[in-house]
Amino acid sequence: MMIEALLVVTVASAVAVMFADEEIAGRLAFGLSLLPLAGSLLMLLGFDGSGNALLGGNIAYETQVDWISLGDITVGYHVGVDGISIALLVLTTVLMSLAILSAWTPIDERQSQFYGLMLFMEASLIGVFTALDFLAWFVAWEFVLVPMYFLIAIWGGPRRKYAAIKFFVYTNVASLVMFIGFIALVFGLGDSITSLGLPEIAQALHAGQLGSLAGIAPETLKAVAFVAMFAGFAVKVPLVPFHTWLPDAHVEAPTPVSVILAGVLLKMGTYAMLRFNFTMLPDQAVAFAIPIAIFAVISVIYGAMLALAQQDLKRIVAYSSISSMGYVLLGLVAYNLYGLGGATFQMVAHGLISGLMFMSVGVIYNVAHTRMVGDLSGIADRMPLTATIFTAAAFGYMGLPLMAGFAGELYIFLGGMQSTVLPGAQLFTAVAMFGIVIVAGYLLLAMQRVLFGPFDADTDHEIVPAAVTDRVSIVVLLLLVILLGTAPDLIYGIIQDAVQPILTIGGGF
Amino acid sequence: MVGAFDFAAAVPLLPFASFVVAILAGYFTPRLLPKGGAIPGIIATGGSLLLSGWLLVTVSGTATFNEEIYTWTTGMAGETFDLSFGILIDPLSSYMLVIVALISFLVHVFSLGYMNDEGETGLPRYYAGLGLFSFSMLAFVMASNILMAFMFFELVGLCSWLLIGFWFREPGPPSAAKKAFLVTRFGDYFFLIGVVAIFATFGTGLFAPRGDELGFPQLAADVLAGEAVPVVSNFLGTIGLGAETWFAIMGLLVLGGVIGKSAQFPLHTWLPDAMEGPTPVSALIHAATMVAAGVYLIMRMFGFYAQLPRVLALIALVGGFTALFAASIALVKREIKQVLAYSTISQYGYMMLALGAGGYVAATFHLMTHAIFKALLFLGAGSVIIAMHHNENMWDMGGLKDKMPVTYYTFLSGSLALAGIFPFAGFWSKDEVLYEALIHGLNDPIILLAYAMGLVAVLFTGFYTFRMVILTFHGEARTETAEDPHGVRWNVKFPLVVLGILAATVGFVNMAPVKELTGMDITYLHHWFENGIHEVTLGEYHHLLEEVAGYHAADLAPFLPAALSLGLALLGAGLAWILYSGPEPTAHTDKLGSIKTLLYNNYYQDEYQVWLAEGVTMPIARVADKFDQGIIDGVVNAISSIALFSGSRIRRLQTGRVTNYAAMLTLGLVVIVLVVALVGGWF
Repeated sequence: MMIEALLVVTVASAVAVMFADEEIAGRLAFGLSLLPLAGSLLMLLGFDGSGNALLGGNIAYETQVDWISLGDITVGYHVGVDGISIALLVLTTVLMSLAILSAWTPIDERQSQFYGLMLFMEASLIGVFTALDFLAWFVAWEFVLVPMYFLIAIWGGPRRKYAAIKFFVYTNVASLVMFIGFIALVFGLGDSITSLGLPEIAQALHAGQLGSLAGIAPETLKAVAFVAMFAGFAVKVPLVPFHTWLPDAHVEAPTPVSVILAGVLLKMGTYAMLRFNFTMLPDQAVAFAIPIAIFAVISVIYGAMLALAQQDLKRIVAYSSISSMGYVLLGLVAYNLYGLGGATFQMVAHGLISGLMFMSVGVIYNVAHTRMVGDLSGIADRMPLTATIFTAAAFGYMGLPLMAGFAGELYIFLGGMQSTVLPGAQLFTAVAMFGIVIVAGYLLLAMQRVLFGPFDADTDHEIVPAAVTDRVSIVVLLLLVILLGTAPDLIYGIIQDAVQPILTIGGGF
Repeated sequence: MVGAFDFAAAVPLLPFASFVVAILAGYFTPRLLPKGGAIPGIIATGGSLLLSGWLLVTVSGTATFNEEIYTWTTGMAGETFDLSFGILIDPLSSYMLVIVALISFLVHVFSLGYMNDEGETGLPRYYAGLGLFSFSMLAFVMASNILMAFMFFELVGLCSWLLIGFWFREPGPPSAAKKAFLVTRFGDYFFLIGVVAIFATFGTGLFAPRGDELGFPQLAADVLAGEAVPVVSNFLGTIGLGAETWFAIMGLLVLGGVIGKSAQFPLHTWLPDAMEGPTPVSALIHAATMVAAGVYLIMRMFGFYAQLPRVLALIALVGGFTALFAASIALVKREIKQVLAYSTISQYGYMMLALGAGGYVAATFHLMTHAIFKALLFLGAGSVIIAMHHNENMWDMGGLKDKMPVTYYTFLSGSLALAGIFPFAGFWSKDEVLYEALIHGLNDPIILLAYAMGLVAVLFTGFYTFRMVILTFHGEARTETAEDPHGVRWNVKFPLVVLGILAATVGFVNMAPVKELTGMDITYLHHWFENGIHEVTLGEYHHLLEEVAGYHAADLAPFLPAALSLGLALLGAGLAWILYSGPEPTAHTDKLGSIKTLLYNNYYQDEYQVWLAEGVTMPIARVADKFDQGIIDGVVNAISSIALFSGSRIRRLQTGRVTNYAAMLTLGLVVIVLVVALVGGWF
């Protein structure tokens, strides 16, 4: 019942905040967001699942209710978590509370609506990471877009309309492509499944029950479905060349929304790839290994090169997210324990670090009202704590050991180096790793110019220390990043346990 | 029974505690922090020094310690390996711990004079950085596996960034800090690939055997000896390379990190810029922490390199070349710290030369003597810089000898050691380095070439060292500041005296040439490294060098080579004396003309690297950005405009007039009929 409680509480909070007074909306939203946070932490503490939720593992906090029958197919409500989804669930609730706290300073109009939409988004994200029935999952997946669209279109920057529409249309078209791919599989399975439950579909696919559909042979059908789903999710991740909505969305979105966008929304793409492409169709994942690895390496290097060319701090972080998400894909395609486990760990680690990075940029923006590298210089003098956290966040992004990003990247590199599935994996890994040099280049350059050197600020606003709430949220997030970097076993153990069945049941690659 | 090993973890953790204290107290209650954090730092590093000494004594009783202390990542049994932190205390690490702890302790004391007495602001940040630096380096030294070593190696890099950029309000230091981190990161990129490759190949990163578990150098030895090691052969099968080739590639990859951190050609360019940091930090970086980390890493995994003759030869060549190359630049520098910076690069070149030539003891010996005399010279230079009100140009000094005798005599002791003049410490160690290079070089032309370069560098070293001493301390004062220098206190003099005495005497622990003359065997260091865990001792290394790498020493007495290098050092020093002594020395290096310009500009090494970063990488990034916004995003927008455009056209059909709809209906019907007719073959 825990997951239902989370969903109900979050939706109820969202409604309550929607109708609350402007003055108390922010505080109310933060207070209420602590409930799902506490709930998800309790779930993590009491987690007793094992194995992979899709592959006959022991699912924790599972609820299954049948709803309606459509012919032979029963559509129902089915939720539950395994080691992969609980990690992302906790990431969501943690980041949402901190994002709401960090919104107190910048958001000063239509506050109750803003915070209400944030909580609606949280509820849909919880749905995405816990749903085990395709229809429920797809509803949550699509519903995430709605609050996101309004959050960018109402509270965004000057080009907010353009960015919001681009984001909405792009990801929606992608969802359509993905949907078609998945439904083709469902029809191909025909009578061998009785519901749209993801575990049932995954297991039926592994049992080789996919028939031909409209004259298309099962093998071809699999390949087509794999490509369609991959392309659909690739927009969300986003992989080069499907990434151009991301910088626009990030630049226009208010900072707390960027935090959720980079920290959680992008992970939906890689989470879905892991669940659908790599768990349901492992043979296709192996067959397409080389093109996927090429996408991964290009995303890492090209994304980092783009970040190097930017002048807007937020754009720098946005492009570097593309680069970091490329590593996740590399881990997936390596298709071994450190690869898949590392990819999942990196989703959490990058969620925290990119959230921290965006928040730090936001804190500077709240004070200076500019984010352009050329406008600011030497502000460490006036905002010592913020500069310290910004520096720590940047080093976290560069993969400094004992911070979460290093653990994730190291696992992925270990997986990549050991991969027996991907031909030339060692070379792909070595090339992708060059990203760690470029990331150091653009972040150190940005820090040198913005934080250090003689003080100068080309802005009408006085540079003073940031608001207390802003500082608290970045300090807490930094401590989490360090905690996960020094003790990755806190979540890596359960993640590893959940990804391991993918390797054995998936045909023993 | 409670012994020293139970406290081993406290050696790095004490400075870590001082870092935490300085950070927290510095932020919340700066007034309660004694001396801006210096006192906690001194207590902590003093404690580390005492504990390291205790460890050294324990190890001298042939005890060793190699245990896992923390499982960082638990792998899945039977499928993947654990990643863990462990402590390895053996003759090498206990020896290095004492060096690092000693230098850090003295640097903390000296900082009282250099930073506190000079009224610097941001002291908690400074001492927090020093604490973290000492912590990282000490933890790196005692790391029992290569992953832990890499992690602390990176943290050492972070600390150097923090401290080089300490004066962040000026434009220079942040830029130098960025360069230091970036250049070493470039080396670490290769190192990390190496680390990952070692784990992937061997399934372990241990340096030395622990219980039944073999370390990776031992597994490599087994594989090369033809024994079956399933993990390794599986991996080699996957990548399709032979063991020797692949091991050599991994050796080279790790070497990338070493070349970056130990500032060897061509990744040395960060080090002279790093002089932007406070001088005590330079002492710490050059003598005992960051730069030393590189060569220490080779020593730590020498059992691996000892099996790779081609890699060893490359190490020797890089070392010999760097020694000569950097020494030639030091000949013409004007700032005292610049001379010292290039001399550091050059001296680490000697250590690389020794390691590449198979002279493990020579390299460790030179690492120790260099740590002492280079820390001394930097601290001495710091004392001079205080006296000169932060003017570092040697041409503005002169005649400081009588005004600051303690600094002068200790600095002289360090200079004699650096130049390798008998009987100072540097003489013994540099002599052994060159001797090892020579006896192995007689059988291998590459090492002989490296030796020759190292030998010429001795002449240069003697010259630049005494040029520096004479210009700084001798002759007449050339500026008003030099006539009336600022005084220094006990906290500056105490570290100088300690190091000055050591620089004159530590060489006596290992006097190889003495045996030939007197018959006395005073090579304590050789015996020191013969004990410990068998697989990581001198005996095993010699065995591997001879059996696997095919290294054979020529039979040659040490006396003549020693006399040769001493003669060259004296010649260089004498030349400097002739050219620069006297009340009004002239800038003789100007007579070198364009050669001087070339040397003074460091062979334009910085220029080409800056060009690679700013002239090549940045334009590529900007082109990529244009491509991204113009082409990729352009296509996306074009597709959406086609959709919008066709949508707006189709919308015009919805006019709301019944006649139009009727026309459409009719038209549609005609089209359908035509299509059906065509397909059905009615015509």
